[in-house]
Amino acid sequence: MAGIRLDNVTKRFGSVTALDRISVEIEDGEFFAVLGHPGAGKTTMLRTIVGLETPDEGDVYAAGERITDVYPGDRDIAIMFQNLALYPDKSVYNNLAFPLKQAKVPKQQIEQRVAEVARVLRIEPLLKRKPAKLSGGERQRVALGRAMVRDPRALLLDEPLSALDALLRLEMRAELKRLQRELGRTVVYVTHDQVEAMSMADRIAVLREGVLQQVDQPENIYHRPANRFVATVVGSPPMNFLHAEGAWSGGTLELRHPLFTVTTAEAASESLRGRLAEGQECLVGVRPEDVHVTSAPGIPATVYVTEPLGGETVVDLDLGGRLVKALVDPTLKLQENEAVQLALDGQRLHVFDAEGVGLLSAAGEPLFTVSAS
Amino acid sequence: MAEIRIQSLTKEFAGGVVAVKDLELEVPHGSFVALLGPSGCGKTTTMNMISGLERPTAGEIYFDGRPITRVAPGKRNVGFVFQNYAIFTHMTVYGNLAFGLKVRKDGRSKAERDAEVRRVAEIVGLSGSLERKAGVLSVNDMQKVALGRSMIVQPAIFLLDEPFSNLDAAFRAYMRTELKRIQHEMGQTMVYVTHDQVEAMSMADRIAVMNLGELQQYGSPDDVYNRPRNRFVAGFVGSTRMNFLPASLAPALAPEGRADKLTLGVRPEAIEIVAPGDARSTLDARVTLVEPLGAKDVVHLEVGGHDARVVGAPGRRPHVGDSVGLSFDPSRVHLFNDETDLAV
Repeated sequence: MAGIRLDNVTKRFGSVTALDRISVEIEDGEFFAVLGHPGAGKTTMLRTIVGLETPDEGDVYAAGERITDVYPGDRDIAIMFQNLALYPDKSVYNNLAFPLKQAKVPKQQIEQRVAEVARVLRIEPLLKRKPAKLSGGERQRVALGRAMVRDPRALLLDEPLSALDALLRLEMRAELKRLQRELGRTVVYVTHDQVEAMSMADRIAVLREGVLQQVDQPENIYHRPANRFVATVVGSPPMNFLHAEGAWSGGTLELRHPLFTVTTAEAASESLRGRLAEGQECLVGVRPEDVHVTSAPGIPATVYVTEPLGGETVVDLDLGGRLVKALVDPTLKLQENEAVQLALDGQRLHVFDAEGVGLLSAAGEPLFTVSAS
Repeated sequence: MAEIRIQSLTKEFAGGVVAVKDLELEVPHGSFVALLGPSGCGKTTTMNMISGLERPTAGEIYFDGRPITRVAPGKRNVGFVFQNYAIFTHMTVYGNLAFGLKVRKDGRSKAERDAEVRRVAEIVGLSGSLERKAGVLSVNDMQKVALGRSMIVQPAIFLLDEPFSNLDAAFRAYMRTELKRIQHEMGQTMVYVTHDQVEAMSMADRIAVMNLGELQQYGSPDDVYNRPRNRFVAGFVGSTRMNFLPASLAPALAPEGRADKLTLGVRPEAIEIVAPGDARSTLDARVTLVEPLGAKDVVHLEVGGHDARVVGAPGRRPHVGDSVGLSFDPSRVHLFNDETDLAV
């Protein structure tokens, strides 16, 4: 078992900087997710940890020991790729045993170890089958088993669930998290799927174009995003942003949108002093579940489209010429072009500067109140 | 505008694979119908028979009462958008959009065509890219070109086969909204093939759920979600899968004496987690995992040896290992016959 540390790691491919001065410390036994769009550098980060790429600058450490120049096979770190490469002509047992045979482990130990891994992954009844006779989820487990079988000190998983259908993904999510708990192994999990990252990880690193945006617990990534990018990458549908302007009167700050005003409590004004000037543009961020359609007088909007999802309904609203998404109860029936009133939950608002840098998130505190202008 | 009527439609491929079996479906004028199902369910084969790419083994398809299975694809007045955008990469966006109008030779003047290209570009959000070569666009924009090119010829029927599946999640959500709005504004009959229940639920007026070549249910999103006809539909629709538990675990929720032959189906959002001894509790459970997703939590439970999930707003969050009670809203409990899988 081992923690992993990247110290100022930069990796370039030609003119492209895939990883740009990444420093991150992954703790021993942690389930650590790396979240980002395709091309963000996630896979390069994994390959650098396992030793398939050598950083141009910076160092990689495992259990406190510098492993930057250690041969991949000697790092005792296993990786499982997105495309499961199982040997089609070998049985599940032999697929699992293969890495151990390669390492010249005695036969009896191999048997023990394979049995152990098969038990943990619940694939004991499948040991005699060939991969072609397995379902997608079963193949996934076997591939995972093969990565685990040598009992590596850390396990790196690259989009392991992306080839599975939605229902199976949901089950495997719970399964992987249970497994990781049981094994207590450090797991670095690369995904572009925010639900996977949010649901499984102890901490999430959000990566964008090779640059680390935020490393934090899922709750903080969701409720206190460091910037607009992070705010958009988690949550479905994504956060709404509305342009407003700072207005100071005495010691209190107001954020003015043509249709509403956000009044900030003393603590919030204090925190924003010097960071948002009089007349300066900012973005008010509000998640769809914090936009409420009310019967009380509120911010005027019109219904653009309603999208029922069964358990909830997404309503797209035209708010002063911009589309805003709200999540509402499915029993609320709204018609296209219907005029409605909105309330924004002040305890869940986020404020970003015009460039999208996070200034303040309410995260449940009564920092803001919103009233229609 | 056109209505589609599909009658006893069957497609059998060489080797005896029956891709579509005795399908009956009516798509009213101007409606948005989704063909939804897992891969291999027959949805794309059905679509291909509507467009004319496949010829049915038996049965007939009518457009406005006129049989069309012997009409050439090009004469059916249908427009397509496929998963893999078919666009001319060497032409500009403008050229791509104008192409369909030019080949149509419907006597419109150049100025009229120009106005039409600009109108459609506006709708699909490409006004700023008209002079760019289509080949250098992002994947998202290429799919907008494909959509615009099919729209511009104003086909009576618009067929879309998984048009968004190669796009990223944020853009997919955006296009869902736009497509629904576009369809409402243009009033075209639209048939949309997808394996993604979110797309079907959010956009369609009616959903045809298919499995193994057979129609399972045809109804509004509200119908298929809240009144599923069988266990397949119940399990396929909904983003966190419906819980299925033997009715014998909670005989009070099943008709007298039939609990051992029925399965309870309860959606994860229709279960409330309460204290173990609470009067509202019908079942005891143990928490096995808590997944915080931000807007809501998914709580995994073990109930009498079965797995179940509850979705709710994050509030008091139970811990792994906690014993809890489960309270069901009886009006939101479904019962399925174990022999037929049909809803009781």
